[in-house]
Amino acid sequence: MAGVRLEHVYKRYPGSDVASVKDFNLDIKDKEFLVLVGPSGCGKSTTLRMIAGLEEITEGKLYIGDRLVNDVAPKDRDIAMVFQSYALYPHMNVYQNMAFGLKLRKFKKADIDKRVREAAKILDIEHLLDRKPKALSGGQRQRVALGRAIVREPQVFLMDEPLSNLDAKLRGQMRAEISKLAKRLETTVIYVTHDQIEAMTMGDRIVVMKDGVIQQADSPEVLYNHPINMFVAGFIGSPAMNFIKGGLYERDGSVHFKADGLDIELTEGKAAIVREKGYVNKEVILGVRPEDFHDEPVFLEASPKSIVSALAEVVENLGHEKNVYLAGLGNDTVIARLDGRSDVKEGSNIKLAIDMNKIHLFDPESELNIFEI
Amino acid sequence: MELSWRSKLESLLGAPIMTAGLPLGERESAWQDIGLEPGDRIRSGDRFRLPDGTIRLIVSADDEKVEYVDLQPGDLTGREEQLLEWLLRELDRASHAEGSRERPLNREMQRFGEWIQEQIGAGRLQAAVPDEFNAGGRLNIEWIPFLLLADHAARANDAELEKLLQTYLETDVLLVPLRDQEWLILAPDSLLYEEGGGRGDIEETPEELLESVARGMHDMLTSEWLGENHIAVAHPIMPSAAVVDTVYLLRETVALGRRFHQGDTVHLPWNIHLERLLNSIPDEQRLRFIEQAASRTDLLLEPEIVTTLETFFAMNCNVSDTAKKLFIHRNTLLYRLDKLKQDTGLDVRLFRDAVLVKIILLLYKVTKRK
Repeated sequence: MAGVRLEHVYKRYPGSDVASVKDFNLDIKDKEFLVLVGPSGCGKSTTLRMIAGLEEITEGKLYIGDRLVNDVAPKDRDIAMVFQSYALYPHMNVYQNMAFGLKLRKFKKADIDKRVREAAKILDIEHLLDRKPKALSGGQRQRVALGRAIVREPQVFLMDEPLSNLDAKLRGQMRAEISKLAKRLETTVIYVTHDQIEAMTMGDRIVVMKDGVIQQADSPEVLYNHPINMFVAGFIGSPAMNFIKGGLYERDGSVHFKADGLDIELTEGKAAIVREKGYVNKEVILGVRPEDFHDEPVFLEASPKSIVSALAEVVENLGHEKNVYLAGLGNDTVIARLDGRSDVKEGSNIKLAIDMNKIHLFDPESELNIFEI
Repeated sequence: MELSWRSKLESLLGAPIMTAGLPLGERESAWQDIGLEPGDRIRSGDRFRLPDGTIRLIVSADDEKVEYVDLQPGDLTGREEQLLEWLLRELDRASHAEGSRERPLNREMQRFGEWIQEQIGAGRLQAAVPDEFNAGGRLNIEWIPFLLLADHAARANDAELEKLLQTYLETDVLLVPLRDQEWLILAPDSLLYEEGGGRGDIEETPEELLESVARGMHDMLTSEWLGENHIAVAHPIMPSAAVVDTVYLLRETVALGRRFHQGDTVHLPWNIHLERLLNSIPDEQRLRFIEQAASRTDLLLEPEIVTTLETFFAMNCNVSDTAKKLFIHRNTLLYRLDKLKQDTGLDVRLFRDAVLVKIILLLYKVTKRK
């Protein structure tokens, strides 16, 4: 098994002035489950394809283990790919599909049989080995594609949105299975997805990309609780973080954030940081996650300096929680996620307390998180 | 090329050999006047006529540069040109074989490939295959034709490819090298039939079967050979009567597929009728159409809108399926379509407007590149 290292990797397509991937530096540890996430066109698939050898690296170096592989053909990189647009070999049955790569590499029949049957057992497709691909369901085909990769026992698995063609329920099941599989095989996995929920639930570490550039690379917890900029803050988390434009001012020895419809006091710790960085009397953008609004009486009582009033325009009752769309806080709709037992009603004015320990403040020009820079 | 060989050739031709540093992907824009299309490959011995009548003879070509000599009409007779073309190709082939120690592919198939190229170059698309290439009458039965183009920089090994295909298809195939990194693959049409003979299963159409075989082949070649490649497939043919026309069709299919559907790697001729038609429209008319058809074309071509529309059309204009595919709420999709209608006057939920927008999106891809 091996890690993967990318050093100052760029990808520029011929005739294009703009690089699709810019100065990509990342050290992926052996056995790490690393997720590349970002919106369409951010360069995550291009990066994966460069690692696979399906795209040439314009500039920079790529190592798999200790081996520089920039000019090594895909078949010689000791990787296995499971891509969104995978196609099983239609004229072969499942056993033959899984065995084909080994057969090409002149493995002995007994070894091929052992690997195929072990992989089939892990994936629970032993009963499908005689079937042709067209007789399989979507989830079964996905497992066979995984099986074709597993039998190679590669140094690195590369997966590009392998679940995107499955329905939501099956996607959830397969997500869990891939996570379990990765742990069992103890293999390095590089997984591309645009779905931040998939990223948060599967990755040991997540790399958030935008416009070909790494925005932040860290554990799911750090990305969620300490996003480095507005893009990461808004991308990770569902519903997304709320952003409210306003300004900071000092009153009676404390620092307040003020915007249309709200005037809340910062904690002492956060106040000290904004003073030190010179943001008092400056415009900033407040970031509050939906779950950091509270309507419980005990919270309201404990947080008198961070209470806001707003109109509950829409209430989405999901059973265990309610998503409340609020008007009157800043210029845009704000979403609060309240407990399912909350008695909030559509069209009513409600009071909410913001958990001021969890807020973020962003510089409006650089969009960086003031508390993280 | 050895210096002495180069000097000798320059002396015989009475013209210097020029070197153009032209990486793949830049040739069609740099050498527009010789009519290169995206995906076209240049190889040793190719001849092009420039607008001023000059004949450009390609001496050698790799992925980074092209060596060529420009001759005036009349410098060489037709026979001398053909002889030179043949010599340069043989020299190129021999130098690669020596460098890679590959075993030479069946000479007959190489000559067959050259014959096909000549017929296409001369416009003889209905030419019947001469008997010399049809020993045993094997070209008088039906084969499935695939056209394979390899993207990888390193020169592919023909013999390795042939063996790989035979292992994959578990049967003999005919591998016919055409241009550089381009092959015609003829596979038995029994691939389309169930084991034991007969069509048996009638659930899949012939096109669906062909597509699944092509996609499987593409996947296999990507992971087990040299990496990214493009494949086109056509309905089974009897090569003795139809091979030239079919190669022409498959080349056109790949070229159109790469132009109109970037990112696609398996190209199907029955899916690009509209693209073929639009490609034949002159640039000026295309631009005029785009300007007249929509009031705010710039809005229509924003990346998020393009993705939304392409997915909407791919999902047969089904709103729910499109929203699922885009991972957005149904209402978000409806909002985007309403906004588009408000800004451009075009409602893609109406058939007429959907057709217009589809054509605009396709035309934009072709027009933008130029």
